[in-house]
Amino acid sequence: MTTALNTSGSPHIPARFSVTKVMGWVLLALVPAITAHVFYFGVGIVIQILLATAAGYLFEGWCLRWRQQPLKPFLTDLTVPVTAVLFALCLSPIAPWYVAVVGMFFAIVVAKHLYGGLGNNIFNPAMVGFATILVAFPQSMSLWLPPAGLIQLGDNLQSIGWQQTLYVVFAGLPADISVDAVTAATPLTALKTGLQQGFAQSEIVTGAVFGDFGGLGWEWIANWLFLGGLLLLFKRVITWHVPAAVLMTTIAAATPFYLFNADIYMSPQQHVFSGGIMLAAFFIATDPTSGCSSNRGKIIFGAGVAILTVLIRNFGAYPDGVAFAVLLMNLSAPLIDRLTIPQPYGKKGQP
Amino acid sequence: MARIKDRLDSFHGGLVLKHHKELSVRSEVIAIDRPEQLVISLRVNRGHVSQPVVKVGDRVNKYQVIAQPIHPFGVVVHAPFSGTIHAIEERPTAAPDAEVAPCIILDTDAEDETIEYLPPLQSINRTSLIQRIQKAGILGMGGAGFPTHVKYDHQTHNQDHLLIINGAECEPYITCDERLMLDEAEALLKGTDLLMQAADARRAVIAIEDNLGSVKSLLDKTINTLELTGIEVIKVPTIYPTGGEKQLIKVLTGLEVPSGQTPLSLGIIMQNVATTKAVYDAVEHNRPLTERLVTVTGDQVGRPGNYLTPVGTSFERLLATAECTLSGIEKLVVGGPMMGYPMPNSAIGVDKTTNCLLLLNKDSSQPDLTTLPCIRCGDCVKACPQDLLPQQLFWYIQGDDLEKARNHHVFDCIECGACSWVCPSHIDLVSYYRYAKSELTYQDYKKAKAQLAKQRHENREQRLQDIKAERQAQRRAKAEKLKDKSTAKKEISAVLDRIKNKQADQDHKQ
Repeated sequence: MTTALNTSGSPHIPARFSVTKVMGWVLLALVPAITAHVFYFGVGIVIQILLATAAGYLFEGWCLRWRQQPLKPFLTDLTVPVTAVLFALCLSPIAPWYVAVVGMFFAIVVAKHLYGGLGNNIFNPAMVGFATILVAFPQSMSLWLPPAGLIQLGDNLQSIGWQQTLYVVFAGLPADISVDAVTAATPLTALKTGLQQGFAQSEIVTGAVFGDFGGLGWEWIANWLFLGGLLLLFKRVITWHVPAAVLMTTIAAATPFYLFNADIYMSPQQHVFSGGIMLAAFFIATDPTSGCSSNRGKIIFGAGVAILTVLIRNFGAYPDGVAFAVLLMNLSAPLIDRLTIPQPYGKKGQP
Repeated sequence: MARIKDRLDSFHGGLVLKHHKELSVRSEVIAIDRPEQLVISLRVNRGHVSQPVVKVGDRVNKYQVIAQPIHPFGVVVHAPFSGTIHAIEERPTAAPDAEVAPCIILDTDAEDETIEYLPPLQSINRTSLIQRIQKAGILGMGGAGFPTHVKYDHQTHNQDHLLIINGAECEPYITCDERLMLDEAEALLKGTDLLMQAADARRAVIAIEDNLGSVKSLLDKTINTLELTGIEVIKVPTIYPTGGEKQLIKVLTGLEVPSGQTPLSLGIIMQNVATTKAVYDAVEHNRPLTERLVTVTGDQVGRPGNYLTPVGTSFERLLATAECTLSGIEKLVVGGPMMGYPMPNSAIGVDKTTNCLLLLNKDSSQPDLTTLPCIRCGDCVKACPQDLLPQQLFWYIQGDDLEKARNHHVFDCIECGACSWVCPSHIDLVSYYRYAKSELTYQDYKKAKAQLAKQRHENREQRLQDIKAERQAQRRAKAEKLKDKSTAKKEISAVLDRIKNKQADQDHKQ
């Protein structure tokens, strides 16, 4: 009875989780926010997601072949769609197609594979892609659709369905429709320009793109992102450290400014419910690969993202600073990790 | 000193696992009939091999000593049955990687002439108990195989020690300790009482997991019947690896065993329940340790349960008794699914630390999952009961930066396998840590050796220089004497006198 048995190492029971499942949960957690996005801004987001995913897979396959890596495990791990969706959520729903393609090129080829592929990227790929197009195509990034509830402009673009959106994305706006007629500023841009023109915040937020406590539409997307984040917490895909640190620090950092001068500094709830903070808190800054690993490190990382974002929003040239804040903190993550090695069992109080 | 906390503490991380215990715990213990041949491993506890004291062809009696330790951490080995020594040779053993080690192969017979190798104890006190434990060849039967008497021998005197009897069998599938507590409550408690005497301990705690239904009430009742004092049964949460020595101490006392030290530094001695029962047998029945309970469980096991198995019984025999078929089985594991060792075949003998044979088919072991790169998700950090950063360790070891791994406390890893199990990239993390530990130990050994050689060389150089300097000093002293005229004359005349005397002597002899 000398059957050859398998002698691979312990544990000998099936693993609890897989990368594919982790990424699958992240995608699932994003579904409510995407649905809200469609509700307020039309089907553009779906087109951008599909576009970014297709481009992402193309670049991923190309890079894997080029780096002589096996295709199957890496094409089925669902990391590409996660990057694509996070990236697309930052895009304007009617951004031209090449914006998504260029962004995904920088996300997948430059940020991911040039640094060694899955697990080795220093920077968050989606944020690299987004920062690139923010710098490269500032014009198309400021073209945002007005929220659905606002549109009373007859048969204008807001009521457009698949066909018209596709047309705009791939062929540009029809010549007879002016850009200003169909687009609106994002709430953060509206605030920024309004403040620059000398309006008080209290006046600006009565504007059409604002809702009850944040940007109209945006506040609900933020709420649904929060819900999705709770799902990830519940499924233990992420821990509470980063989201709690990001949100609480955002409020803590924004409040003094607001109290100092409510007319020129954004209120804490605008900070939280408009723009990318909620997305960053649960889905971007929680990216394990480019973030910190110890719990203390995660808290410092999240706090850093929040502080930098508030500073960029309040003092910088860009209306939203989440992408740059995340990338800057990505750079600091290794250092933070080195300084926050937890004391293991039996070494408490020892150097 | 260590005190049991009123409210239990907890350790970092840990896992809630499906425990699969119901498979094997319900059935009665079955004793294995005398096997025709036993393969008794002489290797215990991290490679300390005992020296055979019998020769091939010798006839031995039941319980006769057949091997003696040559290292302080070795143990005495006894013959489980009478018989003839068939061979003494290297065989694969129930150790990690089925390591080949010297074994005594014993052809048993039914004579069973028992000679009293352990005479009844005249008096029961600390010294006589420790001696008895040593003579009975008892070691930690929970898996580590550390010689039991050493724990008590090394203790400092006049301390109020705390004895913890570890009944927290935290690995899934294994039930031999639970079964033992159910069947042998009295022996276990009497054994605990004996160990308290050996440990100078006024208090003892029997720790069991809170998923063991009736064990606590049974033990409590028996404590009352036996009128024992100072023994308490405490339920601890069923979180893997709560049965780990360090984790259990943290849960019960809130204290952490300092890194690199033993629980004794906290005044704590921990013992497995099977070991405690073995001590009782050695003292009350004068029986050395030659058999143990082994859980046989898993897939395709016809009669899963616990088997009272003589040391040296082959796995084949044990599996046959439990009505197992190996066809379609992917893995045969010694121990539990988290830390156990996979065996290449079943032609291996049970040893004193073999607590479980676990059979797993492909579905329940899934050994061929594709390994992806680490995505630094931190699940391992969350799971690690030692509060380490497993993924950082992995990163450094992969880059062969072992010193960094040392700085990240790789030596504090208890190899519980929690990190490997939760890893979504299916990386066999524990193997990396084992590699790093053994490689670092080897490097340290080499360094120490090189250091020693260097020291020797320097000493020699120093010695030669000293001799040279001494000679020079002598020469200089002589030259100094000759410088002065009057002393020079004296010297010369003294030399001439010596020569003269010598010649005179010789002349005289002739």
